[in-house]
Amino acid sequence: MLRLTFLSIAGAAVLAGAPGVDFNREIRPILSDKCFHCHGPDAATRMANLRLDTEEGARAVIEAGNSGKSRLFARISHEKRPLRMPPPTSGLNLTDAQVATLKRWIDEGAKWDEHWAYRAPKRPALPVVKAKAWPRTPVDQFILARLEREGLKPAKEAPRETLIRRLSFDLTGLPPTPAEVAAFVNDRAAGAYERLVDRLLASPHYGERMAMEWLDLARYADTHGFHIDSHRDMWPWRDWVIRAFNGNQPFDQFTVGQLAGDLLPGATLDQRIASGFNRNHMINFEGGAIPEEYQTEYVVDRVDTTATVWMGLTMGCARCHDHKYDPISQKDFYRFGAFFNTVSEEGLDGRYGNAKPFLPLPDDAQQRRMDEIDARLKARSAELDYELLELLLRLWHDERFHRTPASPVEGLRAWYELDGNLSDTSGRFLHGRLLTGDIAYGAAPVRNGANFDSATVAEFPAAALDVSQPFSVSLWVRAGRQQGQPLLQQLDLSGAGPKGFELAIVTPRTLPRLRRGHPIEVRLLGGEPGRSLIVRSRGYVFIQNSSHHIALAGDGSGRAAGLRLYVDGKPVEIETVEDALPAGFRVEAPVTIGAARPGPPFKGRVDDLRFYNRPLSEAEVERLAVHYPVEVILATPGKRNREAAGILRDYFLKYEAPEYFRTAYTELLALRERRIDLVEEIPTAMVMDEMEEPRDTYLLGRGDYTQKVEKVTPGVPAMLPPLPASAPANRLTLARWLASAEHPLTARVAVNRYWQMLFGHGIVKTSEDFGSQGEPPVHSELLDWLAVEFVESGWDVKALLRLIVSSAAYRQRSQVTPALYERDPENRLLARGPRQRLPAEMIRDNALAASGLLVKTIGGPSVRPYQPPGLWEELAFGEAFTAQEYEQDHGDKLYRRAMYTFWKRTAPPASLVTFDAPDREKCVSRRAVTNTPLQALATLNDPTYVEAARHLAARVLSEPAARTSDARLRHAFQLVMARPPQPQELRILREALAHQTAVYRRSPDAAAKLLGVGEKPAGEAMEAPLLAAWTNVCTILLNLDETVTKE
Amino acid sequence: MTPDRELLLTLTRRHFFGRTATGLGAAALASLLPKSAQAAGGLEGLPHFAPKAKRVILLHQSGGPSQLDTFDYKPGLSKHRGIDLPDSVRMGQRITGMTSGQSTLPVAPSNFSFQRYGETGTWVSELLPHTAKIVDDLAIIKTMHTEAINHDPAITFFQSGFQQPGRPSMGAWVSYGLGSENENLPSFIVLLSQAHALNTDQPLFSRLWGSGFLPSSHQGVKLRAGADPVLFLNDPPGIEQDTRRSMLDAIERLNRLKHRAFGDPEIESRIAQYEMAYRMQTSVPDLVDLGQEPESTFANYGPESRKPGTYAANCLLARRLAERGVRFIQLYHRGWDQHNDLPRDLRLQCAGTDQPTAALVADLKQRGLLDETLVVWGGEFGRTVYCQGRLTETNYGRDHHPRNFVMWAAGGGIKAGARVGETDEFSYNVTADPVHVHDLQATILHCLGIDHKRLTYKFQGRHFRLTDVHGKLIKPILA
Repeated sequence: MLRLTFLSIAGAAVLAGAPGVDFNREIRPILSDKCFHCHGPDAATRMANLRLDTEEGARAVIEAGNSGKSRLFARISHEKRPLRMPPPTSGLNLTDAQVATLKRWIDEGAKWDEHWAYRAPKRPALPVVKAKAWPRTPVDQFILARLEREGLKPAKEAPRETLIRRLSFDLTGLPPTPAEVAAFVNDRAAGAYERLVDRLLASPHYGERMAMEWLDLARYADTHGFHIDSHRDMWPWRDWVIRAFNGNQPFDQFTVGQLAGDLLPGATLDQRIASGFNRNHMINFEGGAIPEEYQTEYVVDRVDTTATVWMGLTMGCARCHDHKYDPISQKDFYRFGAFFNTVSEEGLDGRYGNAKPFLPLPDDAQQRRMDEIDARLKARSAELDYELLELLLRLWHDERFHRTPASPVEGLRAWYELDGNLSDTSGRFLHGRLLTGDIAYGAAPVRNGANFDSATVAEFPAAALDVSQPFSVSLWVRAGRQQGQPLLQQLDLSGAGPKGFELAIVTPRTLPRLRRGHPIEVRLLGGEPGRSLIVRSRGYVFIQNSSHHIALAGDGSGRAAGLRLYVDGKPVEIETVEDALPAGFRVEAPVTIGAARPGPPFKGRVDDLRFYNRPLSEAEVERLAVHYPVEVILATPGKRNREAAGILRDYFLKYEAPEYFRTAYTELLALRERRIDLVEEIPTAMVMDEMEEPRDTYLLGRGDYTQKVEKVTPGVPAMLPPLPASAPANRLTLARWLASAEHPLTARVAVNRYWQMLFGHGIVKTSEDFGSQGEPPVHSELLDWLAVEFVESGWDVKALLRLIVSSAAYRQRSQVTPALYERDPENRLLARGPRQRLPAEMIRDNALAASGLLVKTIGGPSVRPYQPPGLWEELAFGEAFTAQEYEQDHGDKLYRRAMYTFWKRTAPPASLVTFDAPDREKCVSRRAVTNTPLQALATLNDPTYVEAARHLAARVLSEPAARTSDARLRHAFQLVMARPPQPQELRILREALAHQTAVYRRSPDAAAKLLGVGEKPAGEAMEAPLLAAWTNVCTILLNLDETVTKE
Repeated sequence: MTPDRELLLTLTRRHFFGRTATGLGAAALASLLPKSAQAAGGLEGLPHFAPKAKRVILLHQSGGPSQLDTFDYKPGLSKHRGIDLPDSVRMGQRITGMTSGQSTLPVAPSNFSFQRYGETGTWVSELLPHTAKIVDDLAIIKTMHTEAINHDPAITFFQSGFQQPGRPSMGAWVSYGLGSENENLPSFIVLLSQAHALNTDQPLFSRLWGSGFLPSSHQGVKLRAGADPVLFLNDPPGIEQDTRRSMLDAIERLNRLKHRAFGDPEIESRIAQYEMAYRMQTSVPDLVDLGQEPESTFANYGPESRKPGTYAANCLLARRLAERGVRFIQLYHRGWDQHNDLPRDLRLQCAGTDQPTAALVADLKQRGLLDETLVVWGGEFGRTVYCQGRLTETNYGRDHHPRNFVMWAAGGGIKAGARVGETDEFSYNVTADPVHVHDLQATILHCLGIDHKRLTYKFQGRHFRLTDVHGKLIKPILA
C-alpha cells in the first residue's frame, strides 16, 4: 500500500498542472475509470438512473462549492464499505487521494468541462518563461514553462555525436557513418544542426523509417493470419507508403488516399494502391467457416483500425453495446462500419494469394507479354469456326457411336473394370475380394470406379501378376493427400524382410498454382536391405485430387533398365534409387490395395485395373489412357452430362478434327497455359472498391453476425463534427471529413504519435485512446499548438518533424540523476533528453550497417533471412498452401533492412518479436519496451549478429587508416556507437581483445568454427585466430546497452 | 491495472536491480515484497487468496478430440445408427460449412467399447486404457461448451477468452499476475508435438501463447526439441563457456561504466538480463537432459518419451518444468481433427498420448507435486454424433461440435473423482450443468489464487480480463 501511495503521488505530480483542480486532467479520468461503467453513456447498464458523464447528470448529485451537501461525496466517502461507491462487487476502488481530489473539486465549485479531445484545438498563446535564452522553438516555451513551474531545469545540450546518432535513428532508422559524424562534429558554421536535419529528411531512408511506424498501425503482413495463414502480397502498398513519406505527401492527402483513394475522381494507380490500407487486416478461408462471420470481422477490423489510427478512439468497445466511457453508441459503431461494408470482397478468400478485390501490377515487360498472348488468343479463337466445329463433332460422334471400344487384350492376365464389383472380366476368373471395410462405386474415367476409404482393403489373386516375368500394370487413380504409402502391393512377408512389388506415391511438393505433386515410385523388394530394385519418376507427376492413368511395363529382367513408367499415356523419365535385385527373384502373394506395410493405407479411387503378362507398348498405353475411355463414353447410349461432353469435344479437337482445327486448338491450349503462368507471375495488391449493389449494414445484437437488429446508414458519432450535408455519405466523404482542419482529433492524434516516435511517450501517453479512459495530455496546450501548426502548415509531416527535432527539448542530454528519476521516471516533463531502447528493426539494421553488410535496396517483395529451422513447419498446416515451409533466401536478401523481413502472422520473425515487434494481427499504436534475457541471447547468438560481428571485425582489420589495435578498436567502437570510446572503455576492450586473441591462438579450430557462421565470406585472407578474437570483441560491442539504445 | 500501477511495476523491477535507488520508495519496496515477487515481477496484491495450485500444466489436444469415442459413453446410440439426426436434437443450431451441405446427417455410434473403471465406476473407452487407471484422480467435465465452430476462433477463444486475435493468452495472464518461481527459467513455457493421426492436422498460431496487449515479456517461450531448446540459447560454434563468460564480463563492465555516467536504471536491468541469459544456458540444458532420468521413467511414459519433440517426451519435460517451478506449462498436441477416418486416426492419437498423459499425472502424484500442480486435459471443442462423409460399418468421421465436449482436470485445487454434467442421448446437447470455457478459465485462475474478475489490464481504456465479462467457478470440481 505504501508503494502505491508513493507512486500515485509521483504519477499525479507529473500529470497535475496549474493550481486549482483541472476537470479534464484530474476529475474526468477518475469519474470515467471508477464510475462510468455503471453511470456512463451505456443506458442499458446504467444504475440508479444516474449518469456522471454529462454535466446535467452529475449536477443531480453535486452541490457545487459544498462537498458536505453533495450526495456524490457522501457515497464515495461512506464509512461502511458495502455502502461506499464504487461498490465492492465492481472490483473498483477510489484511493484516498482520489476522494480528496473530488472533494477539492466540488468545494472549488465543481467546474464542468466538455472532454478536451472532442473540442477542436485552438492555437494557444506561447507561455512566458524565465530562462528566455533556452527555447529554440515555440515547443520549448511550453516545455520550459512547465519545468519552471515544477522547479526543474532543462538539461544541457547533448554532444554532437549523440545528437547525430539520435537524429539518424529517429529520421532514417539507420546509424550515421563515421564520415557523417565527423562532418557534423567539425561543421562549426552556423546552421550545422539544421543542415543535418534537412539532409536526413531528404534521405530515401526517411520514408522507410516513417513506414516502420505506419506498418504497425496498418497491421501490415505478408500472410493472411487466420488459420492456414498463407501468403499474400501487400508489398506494393508498403512501397507506396515509403514513396508517399519520401515525397512528403501532406498528411491529409495521405489519409484520403489510404481510406478512399479508389473513389477519388480519376484515381491514379498509386491512389488505388494506397486504398489497400484497409485490406491489410487478417483474412480467413478456414474450411467450414461461415463467410458472413468473417466478412463481418473484416468490417469490424476496419472500424477499429481507422478509429484508432486517425481519431485515437476505441470504437471497438461499442461493437456489442454502447461504449462504457465515451459517447459512442452501438449504433454509431455500425453506422461507421457501413462506410467499410461495401467492398466487393468475399467472407472466405485468399487461398491463392491476394483476396478479391485486387489489382494486377505488371511491369512493362509483363504487360507486353500479356498483350501479346491476349492478341494471339483472340486471333486463334477467331480462327475457330464454332458452328462448323459443332457440326463436325456431331458427324464424328454419330459415326463412332457404334464402334466397340478397343483396348489391348493380348496377354491380359486379369482385368478389373471396377464398375460395381471386384470381378475379373478377362475370362480367367481371378476375382478380387474385399478383406476389410467396403467400397463405394462411383463415376470414374471408365464408367464407374472403386472408392477406397482408409479402412478398405481389397485382395486380388496371386496369379494375376508375376513381376519376375515380363508384365504390365495399368490403372486409373485419383487420390488426395498421400504420405508415401503403397498404392498397390504384392508382398510376401514370410521372410526376414518384405519381398515383392509395390507401386507407391511418395513425398510431395507444392507446384505452381498450388497443385500438390508427388513422384511415383516402383519397388521390387528383394527381401533384405540393399537387395531391391527401386525407381522413381523424376517429375512430380502425380497431382493430388486429379485423375491419372498409371502404367508400368517390365521386361522381366529384374533391372531398372527394363522398367517403363507411363503417366496419362506418356512415358515419364525415371531415376534409379537402387538396382540390386537378386537373381531368381520371384514373389508368390496376392495383390492388395489398401493394406499398409507399415504406414498409412491407400485412400482414393481406382478404376480399370489390368495386369498383363507382357510389356505394353507406348501406343498401347496411350490407347488405354487416352482413346479407350473416350470410346467407352462414345459407345454409351443415353444423354451425356456436361463433363462427358467436354471430354469428347476436347478429344475430338486434339485427335480427330481436321488438321486446321487441331493446330489452332493446340496453340489455344498452350496460350491459355502461358497466360495462367503469367498471371501467377504478375504481382497484385489488394485494394478497396465499391460493390455495384452495396451490402446492407445492420446493427448486430451483441456484435453477433447472426443477430441483425436494425438496418443502419453510414454516419459518424454525434460528438464529432457532422459530415457535410452536400456530399454523399460514402468512404471518400468520410476520409475528407477526417482530414479536415475542423476535425478535433485527426491532427492531435497524428502529432502525438510523432511526438511518441521521437520522445518515447506521446504527450498523450495512450496514443491509441484519446477518450475519457485515455491519459490526459501532459502538455495539453503544446499538443493543441502543434496540432494547429500541423494543419496550418498544410499537414506537412517533414516540417512538423523538423520543428520538433529542432527544439532545445529534443537536443538535451539524456543523463538522469537519482533525484530526477524519482521525480519523473518516464521523462514526461522532459527535463532531460529521450533515452530509449531502439525498436527491433533498428537493432538489427544497426548491426548490419556497422558491419557493412546492410543492403540498402528500397522496397520489393519481402525477404526470408536466417531463421532457426522449423519455426513455421511446427505450426503450419502444410500441404498445398503457400507460406507453410520457410525457405531461407541467400545473398543480398539476407541483409535487407528488417522491415522487409517476411512477416508470417502466426509465426512472426523470431528475433524481431523478441524485441517487442508486434505480430501484426491487429493495429498497434505503441509498442511495449521490455528488457529480457531472450533479447540477450538473440544479439549474442543469432547468426545474423554473429555474422555481423565477423564482418565488422574484418572491416576494421582491413581499414588501411587504422594500423594499431587501439586504432581499430576505436574504429569499431565508432562504427557501432557513433562516438570514440572513453579511455576506460578502450582499456576494457583492449583487455578483452588480448584475452580473446590468446584463446583463439590456443585453439585455431575453434576460430575456424566461429568464422564459419553466416553465408557471406569476409576476411578470408586474415589470420583466423585474430579474426575470431576480433569477432568476439565486435560481439561485445554489438551487445552493449548503448548500442541498442537511442540516447 | 492502471497506468500508475504499470509504472510502479517497472519501478519495482528497476529498484530491485538498481544500485542507485535511494529513498522511501526503494526501502519500502524491499521490505514489503516477498522475495519471489521481487525476483520475478508478479503483481502486487497477488495471489488474491491462498492458492491451491502453484502452477498449471495445460495439455491441449488441438483439433477437438471426440467425446463420443473417449469419455461420453452413449450405449443407446446403436439403435439410432445411420438415421438422420432428429431436428428435435439439432434444434436449428448452426453447423460448419463442411457438413451443412450434406444431404443427411447420419448418426454414427462409437465403434469402440467402453468399460467402467476405478472406484468411481467411470466409463472410459478402450482407446484410453492408461487414463482409465488414473480415472479416480480426475475431475471430469462432460458439458464443456464453447461459442466457435471452427478451429481458429475456437482455439483462440480457449486460450485467450476471445474468438478474435489480440488478447493475451492464459499463460501470459498468469505470468503477468504471478510471475515466476524460478529466476532461471521463463514463467510461461510452451511445448509442441506433432500428430500421430495420418490425415492433415490443424495449424497452431503463436498468438495462442502470445501476450496480446500485455508486455511481450509475458509471451510463452517455446521449448523446442533439438540443439537450441530455447531460441538462440547455444553459443555459436567456436565459443567455449569461459570465452563467453569473459565476453559477458566485458559487456558488464562497459555497461556499468555507462550506468555510472547516465544513471538510467534500464542499464542495470539489462545487466541483470544478460546474467539471467547466462544462467539459462545452464538451467535449460539441465532441464531438457533426459539422460538423468532412470529407466523406469521411460517405461512409465512409454517408448516415445525417449524421442525429443514427441508428446510423451513433452509430458516428461512438463514434470521436470513443474519440479523447477515454472508457472504455466502449455503442451499442444496436434492431430485431433477427425473429420474422416476417425476409427484409424483417433486410435493412433490415443495410442500416442494416453500412456504419457496418465504417466504424468501418476508421476506428479508419486513425487508429491500433484497437490500443487493443476493438470488440465482437453481440446477446443468436441465432435458431432453425426457422420461427416460416408458412414460404413468400419469407418466414419465427425465434424466440429461446440455444444458439449469433455475435459478433465486433476491436482492442485481439484476434487479427485468429481463428475460434472450430463448430455442427451446423442451427446449433442447439455441436459445438466453446462460449463463454459470462461468458467474453466475462471476456475484455473481460482486454483492459482487469482480472482478472475480482479486480474485486469487497462488497454484502450478498458479493463480487460481473461474471462471478458463472464466466467463463474466450476464449484463441483473444486476441492
